[in-house]
Amino acid sequence: MTRQLRSPTTIAFVAVVALLVVLPAIGSSFFVNFIMTRTLILGLAAATIVFLSAYGGMVSLAQLMLFGTAGFMFGNAVLEASPRGLNLGWAPWTAVVFALAVATAIAFLLGALSSRTTGIYFLMLTLVYAVIGYNVFAQVVPISGPSGITRITPPPPITQATHLYYAALLLSIGGYVVLKLVARTPFGLALQGVRDDPVRMASLGFRVPLHRALAFTLAGFIAGVAGLLNVWWNGQIDPASIGISPTLVLLIVAVIGGISHLEGAWLGAFVYVAANSYLRALPFVDRIGITEDRFNTVIGALVLLIMVLSPEGLSGVIQRLSNEGRRRFSRFSSRDGTGRVDTSGDDAGESPVVMIDSSTSPPTEERK
Amino acid sequence: MKQAKTSGRRLVASSLFALALIVAACADDDADAPPGLDDSEDAVDDVDDADDADDDVDVADDGDDEVRLGILGQCEGPFGGFHEDTVAGVALALVNHAGATVPSDDTALDGWEGAEVNGTPIELVGVGCGDDTPDRILAEVRQLVEQNDANVVIGPLSGDEGIAVAEYALQNPDVTFLSGIAGSQEPTLEVQAPNFFRFHGEGAIWNAGLGDILHNQEGWETAAVIADDYSFGHTSTAGFVAEFCGVGGEVTSRVFPPLGTTDYSSYIAQLPDPDEVDGYFWAVGGTGTQAALEAFVDAKGDLTGDQHAGNLFFNPDLAQALGPDIAGAYVGGFASPPGDVQMPAIDEYLASADETWDSLPTGIAGGERADASAAASFGFMYGYYSAGVALVDGLAETGGDPSPEPLQSALGGLSVELPYGDIALDDNRSGIVDVFISRLTVDDESGEVVQETVALIPEVDQTFGGTFGADTPAPSRDFPPCEERDLPWVGNAIPVEDGVPQQ
Amino acid sequence: MSTAVGQAPQAGDGTADSKRSVVYALPKAVAYAAAAFVVVWVLFIAGDSPAGPAVSNPGRFVVTLLDAITFAGLLFVVASGFTLIFGLMRTVNMAHGSLFLLAAFVAINVQHAMLGKSRNIVADEVGILDWVVPMLVGALVAACVGLILQQLFLRWNQGQELRQALITLAITVIMADQMLNHFGGLALRMTWPGSVTHFIEILGQRYATTRLFMLAVAVLVGALLWLWLNRTRMGLVIRAGVDDETMVRALGINITFVFAVTFFVGAFLAGIGGAMGASFAGAATGSDGDWLLNSLVVVIIGGLGSIKGAVAGSLLYGMVIAFAPAYLPSRYSFYAIILTFVLLAVVLAVRPYGLFGRPA
Repeated sequence: MTRQLRSPTTIAFVAVVALLVVLPAIGSSFFVNFIMTRTLILGLAAATIVFLSAYGGMVSLAQLMLFGTAGFMFGNAVLEASPRGLNLGWAPWTAVVFALAVATAIAFLLGALSSRTTGIYFLMLTLVYAVIGYNVFAQVVPISGPSGITRITPPPPITQATHLYYAALLLSIGGYVVLKLVARTPFGLALQGVRDDPVRMASLGFRVPLHRALAFTLAGFIAGVAGLLNVWWNGQIDPASIGISPTLVLLIVAVIGGISHLEGAWLGAFVYVAANSYLRALPFVDRIGITEDRFNTVIGALVLLIMVLSPEGLSGVIQRLSNEGRRRFSRFSSRDGTGRVDTSGDDAGESPVVMIDSSTSPPTEERK
Repeated sequence: MKQAKTSGRRLVASSLFALALIVAACADDDADAPPGLDDSEDAVDDVDDADDADDDVDVADDGDDEVRLGILGQCEGPFGGFHEDTVAGVALALVNHAGATVPSDDTALDGWEGAEVNGTPIELVGVGCGDDTPDRILAEVRQLVEQNDANVVIGPLSGDEGIAVAEYALQNPDVTFLSGIAGSQEPTLEVQAPNFFRFHGEGAIWNAGLGDILHNQEGWETAAVIADDYSFGHTSTAGFVAEFCGVGGEVTSRVFPPLGTTDYSSYIAQLPDPDEVDGYFWAVGGTGTQAALEAFVDAKGDLTGDQHAGNLFFNPDLAQALGPDIAGAYVGGFASPPGDVQMPAIDEYLASADETWDSLPTGIAGGERADASAAASFGFMYGYYSAGVALVDGLAETGGDPSPEPLQSALGGLSVELPYGDIALDDNRSGIVDVFISRLTVDDESGEVVQETVALIPEVDQTFGGTFGADTPAPSRDFPPCEERDLPWVGNAIPVEDGVPQQ
Repeated sequence: MSTAVGQAPQAGDGTADSKRSVVYALPKAVAYAAAAFVVVWVLFIAGDSPAGPAVSNPGRFVVTLLDAITFAGLLFVVASGFTLIFGLMRTVNMAHGSLFLLAAFVAINVQHAMLGKSRNIVADEVGILDWVVPMLVGALVAACVGLILQQLFLRWNQGQELRQALITLAITVIMADQMLNHFGGLALRMTWPGSVTHFIEILGQRYATTRLFMLAVAVLVGALLWLWLNRTRMGLVIRAGVDDETMVRALGINITFVFAVTFFVGAFLAGIGGAMGASFAGAATGSDGDWLLNSLVVVIIGGLGSIKGAVAGSLLYGMVIAFAPAYLPSRYSFYAIILTFVLLAVVLAVRPYGLFGRPA
């Protein structure tokens, strides 16, 4: 434990957190309250994708739907005289509990329903969940309708934008720590076992579907927390907030950062948000024929580049660079035709670098 | 050893992240924090922070000797093709009325130079790039206001975006907002932000006149409605229903297929048959306009034009594969009338567009290059043009003072002279506009279906004689109900013959 | 909590098995009961629904059924390419919708060029060639683009399913943006040939032959696909590859070439679907996502990689789309679209990999 406290990882972690804590004092209002708050919220939501993928072998596209569900539920519960929604007029913190309870319950139901599928099937199934979620909120007028719920404000102690920034920071750290810790519990270890070899785990007597469903529920809960932060920050939510394109954006955020590193989620969110805001201001972009109205092409190309170069995203690239520098001739060269990155150097319990391909097929069926 | 290596990588990762943060934060700090703009000034803050008043005065003192204009367009989504039109509309207004010149004759996105009203320069600080969703437009408007320090914003383009921007306006009273062409009722009727001005109509207004003509002139007693199941479909329907029922007609069925429907047959089947109803009102957009009409032909029989009416989606350019059977159908209005309307001010306006640009890539030509006047005659560019002219007029009224209070009170009292009809504002700062109703007819020479303007409905306001107000629900699948009511403009329609209003 | 979850069941094997079969039998029973209820509802009850029960309004029922089957034909053509590619290569081609839309736009433009006009096109002016040639050109363009994508981005990472899905996803984002740039945001439409645009009477209801033509094209495509897979050497190799790729390689067959051909054909099918979809429903920005989603729903119901599954999935999905708005009680008919979810839930509760699917 003491060794861990002094390890470079912890030092770096503390340094980043410290920087983020003092950021409002040195950054501009827009940078803190827009760029960074949004980064933290998106990062927390994307971290649930990373968690499910890295520890459970499930790449979920339903996280934004759960994120939005919490937001919609909060808006419905807390507002009193909004033109749309149920206008339940509950106390803000009751509404928070209610919103998280609904998001978690839906996550459990959906998780149970999809618990016998994995990998690519899971990806497609959760995409369908996402679309159904969009349709439910667009069609069921009493809880939202097409124009959504507006004029949502944060609950009492959060009255200023910087408060919201700190709330997002606190909950991001909390979410990160919880997800890391869960991975080390017997449940987390069993989950990783399920990821690697569900058949063997089942024959050992582990309830594979239950593990997956519970992991999905936990991820749904945390996505719900991020969703609450989001409606507080954004002030409104509508069905298009959880439509197919923001759903894909969240996955893209997770992919940019690296879909097997929890930290990567926030890194990816930062890159995405910053690119979205600052890329168009760069002087040279116009000259190479990319104006801000073709921003999606740039984002698409970025994701394509990352996926072509390193399926481990930016964290993978960084890791590879530092690796390369360290031991140029050694075992990193074992990246074979399947694009696997050798990770035998990793402490398995702490940093499970899941192969982007291995999560879907048992090792016996590996293609060469 | 292993531990150290792993940690090393993480260390590199974290430090890179931290470095990026610092660089970004500092760069942002230098570039975007103008003197006087307090860091704590932001949306959430403003709601209940009384101390902020001091800071706001600061802003007015140091910052506001120029108009820092932000434009909200759409570069993605269904209207992504119209991005250039939005900037072009504002630029043309400044060229025509504020002495601006454009740096490029084949794109509007480069903005303008030298715009000035009474010595106050109008600078373009940024163009927001929406994708037809409220979330995205909020991010864009925050960037324009909070990062680029815009003090006037023109936009957005579509209805749900309008609601979000009006809500944002409510929390940022020091920024003046002029709607681009957002066609929902709520931004003005319900949100009522004192700094949000709309110099154009909306979905319900644009269908005023149809009910009167169809019931009293064409003899429709009953009608069925089919519209997209989202706010613009609901609002268009609301305008039609309010007037058609208001003058004594009866709407017997309302069908709302969800957005993204591919097979309309099940929804068409829910409509009454042609012999059970006098006519149909359509407000289905996008791919749905033609798909739904074709499903109608498939199940109910050939189109007979005079049994149909539609909102602005019934445009012969959009309905390119319908064939001439649709001729005879009535079409609701939009911000600008069809091309056949002839007035000197219009010719002048269109000529000024062609003088300003050789050609523009415009959504109305499917993203191809077209004459600037083609874009200018369409409602999207015209809505932004109207907002631009209103801004110039407002500034002229204040003697060039762009600070929020004088500018906003000047804008509220304006009657803006515009090529397609002057526009004044109601108490909620929404336009009282003239609506042009047209009909699809077969052109004798070419045999093609064209749009012919038949009537001008003067001075339509968004309350529809009290049908809609701040206390009524937003238009929905069943609101407004079908009941008789008095509408101020019924009976005042001015016939239009060969493009000339018969005053 | 976690320990409880992780514990091995202490009961003997037999008990666990019987428990498990009970657990799995339950959803099955519920599914069958739900299906039976739906049939009874549509036939006899359907109170207050727009259509009314089938026994009292048989014409409407038959027409709705035909609507379901004809739309299912279009769904099948689009989804078959998706499932073919997955079946052999385990590639989930998220760019399938983009290829669909690309072919649609190309076909529309070719048709406009052949007719010499882009507005006020009447079906009578459209000869059968004015429809077939644009369709084939559009499909070929989609097939070639698909092949290029496969060769550039998918060839060398075969087997990494998620990586490939994400790569094709990125391609979708780029293609959607570029198509918006080149074809604009307006909805465009292809016109059916005049020779198939007629109407017939079915139990007193008017019915369009274009829908039957669409079904005929779908059946033709399905038949050709079946012949190709079952009566040619290439088809044999593909079917063998689906079952055991390693074995096929070991036999010295050039599977890389087979992969390329399969991807070409899959993208071609997306293109055929694109031209049909553009004639049936039009094409615009956003159609790509809609049709990717349609394909996904079909293959999730039917089972990924199975052509039989694509047929079954298309039919079931088409049924829900056609019947839900007509036979739900009127005040709930706005929720028809949500019923798709119920269908998925029922199917997945019984068969997690779809009706004809199997675990990877």
